[in-house]
Amino acid sequence: MMAAPQTDERQAERRFARTVLLLIMLGFGLVSLAGLSAFAVMMRGEEQTELVDHTYQVERQVIGIRLALEQMRSARRGFALGLRYDSGAAYPEAVSTLFARIDGVRRLTRDNPVQQRNVERIERMAGTLDLLFRRSMESSEIRAERAERERQRLAGQVEGVASAMLAEERGLLTKRSDARADSMMLFYIVLGFTGVLLVLVGLGSIAVIRRYTSELKGSREELRRLADTLEDAVAERTTDLQRANEEIQRFAYIVSHDLRSPLVNVMGFTAELEAAIAPLQALVDTVEARDAGLVDPDVRLAVREDLPEAVGFIRTSTQKMDRLINAILRLSREGRRSITPEPLDLGAIARSVVDALRHRIDELGVTVTVSDRLPDLVSDRLGIEQILSNLVENAVKYLKAGRPGEIRITGRIEHGRVIIQVADNGRGINPRDHERVFDLFRRSGEQDQPGEGIGLAHVRALAYRLQGTISVESELDKGATFTINLPAGYVGEGSA
Amino acid sequence: MNAEQAVNIVMIEDDEGHARLIEKNIRRAGISNPIHHFVDGTSGLRFLFEAPEGPAHNGPALVLLDLNLPDMSGTDILSRIKAEGSALRRAPVVVLTTTDDKIEIQRCYDLGCNVYITKPVNYENFAAAIRQLGLFLSVIQVPDLEEPK
Repeated sequence: MMAAPQTDERQAERRFARTVLLLIMLGFGLVSLAGLSAFAVMMRGEEQTELVDHTYQVERQVIGIRLALEQMRSARRGFALGLRYDSGAAYPEAVSTLFARIDGVRRLTRDNPVQQRNVERIERMAGTLDLLFRRSMESSEIRAERAERERQRLAGQVEGVASAMLAEERGLLTKRSDARADSMMLFYIVLGFTGVLLVLVGLGSIAVIRRYTSELKGSREELRRLADTLEDAVAERTTDLQRANEEIQRFAYIVSHDLRSPLVNVMGFTAELEAAIAPLQALVDTVEARDAGLVDPDVRLAVREDLPEAVGFIRTSTQKMDRLINAILRLSREGRRSITPEPLDLGAIARSVVDALRHRIDELGVTVTVSDRLPDLVSDRLGIEQILSNLVENAVKYLKAGRPGEIRITGRIEHGRVIIQVADNGRGINPRDHERVFDLFRRSGEQDQPGEGIGLAHVRALAYRLQGTISVESELDKGATFTINLPAGYVGEGSA
Repeated sequence: MNAEQAVNIVMIEDDEGHARLIEKNIRRAGISNPIHHFVDGTSGLRFLFEAPEGPAHNGPALVLLDLNLPDMSGTDILSRIKAEGSALRRAPVVVLTTTDDKIEIQRCYDLGCNVYITKPVNYENFAAAIRQLGLFLSVIQVPDLEEPK
């Protein structure tokens, strides 16, 4: 139920990331496309400008040709009218200008075969014209009508070719201007298209992001709701557990109390019975002393052996039962005792626990080392004392025969929790009994030491009450290490 | 004990065995006062307050009280005896019970219990405790109760 929406969410997340990435890449692509086209258009524009400029240069040269021609004419006319001092020098100057201009056009239109041909033609005609002009100026006799007409015809032709060249250049210019306008148009179209696409991508991205954020918001609210219900569930569960725990404590208390009453009777009347055996034995003794034959062997056996034996068994059993009941009572009372957390010096507590057992420790020659770097913690003093005391007592009690006992108490802080370890080199605990030893009335290994199997159960109950845990690491004959994990700061049961 | 008028011992104890053991050991201590035994709170209270031969109408008494009774808690009986205006409020009450809960003990003393004894499970101790109680009863002075109105 939980896994399906999670993968769905993951997929949606992946899809979202992919879409956004795609859109951003598309946007970048479009922007760079627009940039590239702008660059291309700019380059082309520059080219166009150069070409237009070229056209204007050619035009200037062509116009120069016409101007030079006009100067030649006016110089000749001046000469003919006798103004030779004014125009004699002007004519050669005008001719050289004409040829310079023609050369200029040739240079400029090297890539245009039509203009080149025109240049050839105009040069040839200009040469002939120049010859005609010079001749008309050298001999005054040759002023014939025919020569006059020839000159005018040639000059008209030169004019015509120049005009054709001009027209050619003008045509080229128009074509180039049109091409330039076209490329500008293309640029604007590309720009506009890119703009529209960018707007679309932007809108798409916004839509995707908005949808995603609303989904995110929804899931966050869902999460909060779940967290709230979880808290409620935990609180409910805690209350249930506390109630169950209280119920068990009360049950244990009542049961152990009610078991005590009949036990008092059993023990009381057993004592009465024992007391009654004495006069019976005395009677049997008296009768036997008088006449041995009067006492039946069965009666003798019953009074002398069976009755004391039965009473003895009843006694030891009831005593054991009494100890067990007392243990349950102690545990239930411990469970009902209120925990009073206070700052504790763990080192001092450990040393006082060891001192309290000093007599037995010295008697058995056990070495106990208390680490001088035990962490401080806030917890219940009595609880910690009892835990340590029980663990050290056990370590002292279950030594490995023939090996001098060594017990080490160490501690450290880990992630806000205090870890206390009590390690020994004693007989150890079989791994299959590691859980069992913490159960009430359960013991492990060789039963050569007195005990009811209460200590570790008590320790575990205490550790749980102090919001901690306890575990054991051990192998047979290799010692045991008990690890207690407690919160560094105990928080009250109500707020837990 | 009071020579002129025999002090009645009223024992409210639901366990017959305990009652018998208590009685035996009191007798062993040399106390011969009459012991009235009741196994539940209702009949015990009726005897204490209403019976013509009971202590409310008829002389001084000492109450031996168990706390765990089938029909009511011994503390209810204690509070009835020690209540303001009760004819028996000066009568000494010895609570003799298995309960050794500190809070319960405090509560009994608060209610006016005179002696609180926890029954030891070990019989030798139990017998010794009862015999000592007997010796104690033999020297204790019990006040005369007010005349019933």
